[in-house]
Amino acid sequence: MNNSQAIELRNVTKTYATGDLEVHALRGVSFTIAPGEYVAIMGPSGSGKSTLMNLLGCLDRPTTGTYTLDGTDVAGLSDAQLAKIRLTKLGFVFQGFNLLARTSAVRNVALPLFYAGIAPKIRNAAAAERLVEVGLGARLDHKPNELSGGQQQRVAIARALVNDPAVVLADEPTGNLDSQTSVEIMALFQALNAAGRTIIMVTHDPETAAHAKRTLVVRDGTIVDDVLQKQRQAIA
Amino acid sequence: MIAYIVEALTVLFANRVRTGLTALGLIIGVMAVIAIQTMGAGLAGATNGIFGSIGDRSFFVIPNVRQGDFATAQIKIEDLLAIKNSIPGVAEAMSGNNSIRFGHIGHNRARLAIGSEAGDPFNTSEIAQGRRITQADVDSNASVGILTEAARKKLFGDLDSAIGKQLRLGERRYTIIGVFAAPKAAVNLNFGGGDFVVPYTTYDAAYVQHGSIGAARFLLKPGYDPQTTEDAIVKALKKLKKKKADYITLDKRTLTRAVDGFFAGITLIVSLIGTVSLVVAGIGILNIMLVSVAERTREIGLRKAIGATKLQILAQFFIEALLLSLIGCAIGLVLGLSIGYGVNAGYLVRLSGVIAPIPWLQASLVATGFATVVTLLFGTYPAWRAAQLDPIEALRYE
Repeated sequence: MNNSQAIELRNVTKTYATGDLEVHALRGVSFTIAPGEYVAIMGPSGSGKSTLMNLLGCLDRPTTGTYTLDGTDVAGLSDAQLAKIRLTKLGFVFQGFNLLARTSAVRNVALPLFYAGIAPKIRNAAAAERLVEVGLGARLDHKPNELSGGQQQRVAIARALVNDPAVVLADEPTGNLDSQTSVEIMALFQALNAAGRTIIMVTHDPETAAHAKRTLVVRDGTIVDDVLQKQRQAIA
Repeated sequence: MIAYIVEALTVLFANRVRTGLTALGLIIGVMAVIAIQTMGAGLAGATNGIFGSIGDRSFFVIPNVRQGDFATAQIKIEDLLAIKNSIPGVAEAMSGNNSIRFGHIGHNRARLAIGSEAGDPFNTSEIAQGRRITQADVDSNASVGILTEAARKKLFGDLDSAIGKQLRLGERRYTIIGVFAAPKAAVNLNFGGGDFVVPYTTYDAAYVQHGSIGAARFLLKPGYDPQTTEDAIVKALKKLKKKKADYITLDKRTLTRAVDGFFAGITLIVSLIGTVSLVVAGIGILNIMLVSVAERTREIGLRKAIGATKLQILAQFFIEALLLSLIGCAIGLVLGLSIGYGVNAGYLVRLSGVIAPIPWLQASLVATGFATVVTLLFGTYPAWRAAQLDPIEALRYE
């Protein structure tokens, strides 16, 4: 077992029981992601891609198999322990931004630190720092309805970074954005990765996935392809 | 904990309209209950003010009209004398009624109710001008009397002093020896509610017809128990009339108790109605909190995804509901006390001359109690629902 991995999945399965029917969403998935990687997870809808994302995000537990996140085995943890893992080791970026309405950018970004029990002054200072980092230093007190879609997603990214997570998980981060803004957000992710952030991005869009260094393709609950971008370009 | 209160206040303030609408039902409910409580205290004060005019040592005995032989039970002048002489606690015994006559001063004329009074120290009304009725006036059946300020104004206007003037009342003439101070209370039960008060001996001689008086008024010697004396009088009257004769005794205590009981009944009924309205308000809060949880499903999902535990979400929503209730109840408390005090100061004060003190402590306890109960009953379930939400489902919620 290699403890230096950011993420290590071994024979992970996920089975949902809906009535008498058993749905095998994941049928034995194993892979590792090293710190500093930028991975896209692709796959058609119903492939198990969302289930995989929920497992990686510690929002759900595998039925069988082991999942080690930043050196911690999370497969058997309780709800409260999983919440603690999400609070300290993960950052989420969603398609729909999911910012608190009528709440300033700084307060939105500081939200995870509130649950970590950090004093208001310290958390607001940390939040402001992250907003500067994503290029929104001039809009600290703007509310979501006063920001463009791209700016809102930058606030969400700042929020995902505020707890200094081991892994940033992005679920279709450009799905609600126009192509020009998408390019900017992708550039931001690449800059973050260049600065050493581990990023996992779920997308169905090959163009978006092309920004990542590595692509995992999920189909029928298994990983069917795992290629580095360089190889892909070489094949093409 | 303080962080949660600050966070909850921030959320409540950021969503002012929702907050205001949710609190509205509670504000109205608490306002109604507190206003009625305050007015109830005012009414109790008014009762005490009104019956205070009777005095502590004065009481009435009247034959019960609901008896077969009412005529026999009638109290006569000679009965009063017999009672005064036989029962040790009785200082004076007189008619408790008044008699209506027209009074004339020159060409001025006014309809006056003539009441009767003993000498000092039984007088309970203040004199503004002149002097009181003395024991000498009583002993000599003097043709003197005291006008109320209202009657003086009718007869004399704002012109000259009434003291020493002759007042013609039917065939009799009286010298006006004094004027009562304008009473603070609108209702005065003294002297049978008279406008012109004469020595009781004078009254009994001039206005008691066929020796029969409707109500008898007794004055108690200092140091005697009113209840014992009342019982002795009723016993003596029954002996004088017949065994089955029935009498009612009225004194400050029994009247106050009766009216207080009446107001306590009203307060209870209105409080019950208020409680019902608060339950309705509470269900309103429950409903809006549930809608709010549904409306904020994605927000709750997000909060959980970024690391909030069930307990943290539960605490947050519960504190939100608690603060909402407290704010609603505090506003209701202030409004209710204002309305209650306004009614007391603007209206009830005229009955008694006294503004009842604001029942701060009682009202605050009631309001805080309601806030707590409403939160426990109606805030816990939505908070629990919020805490139980599955973050994956919640984030997908449209």
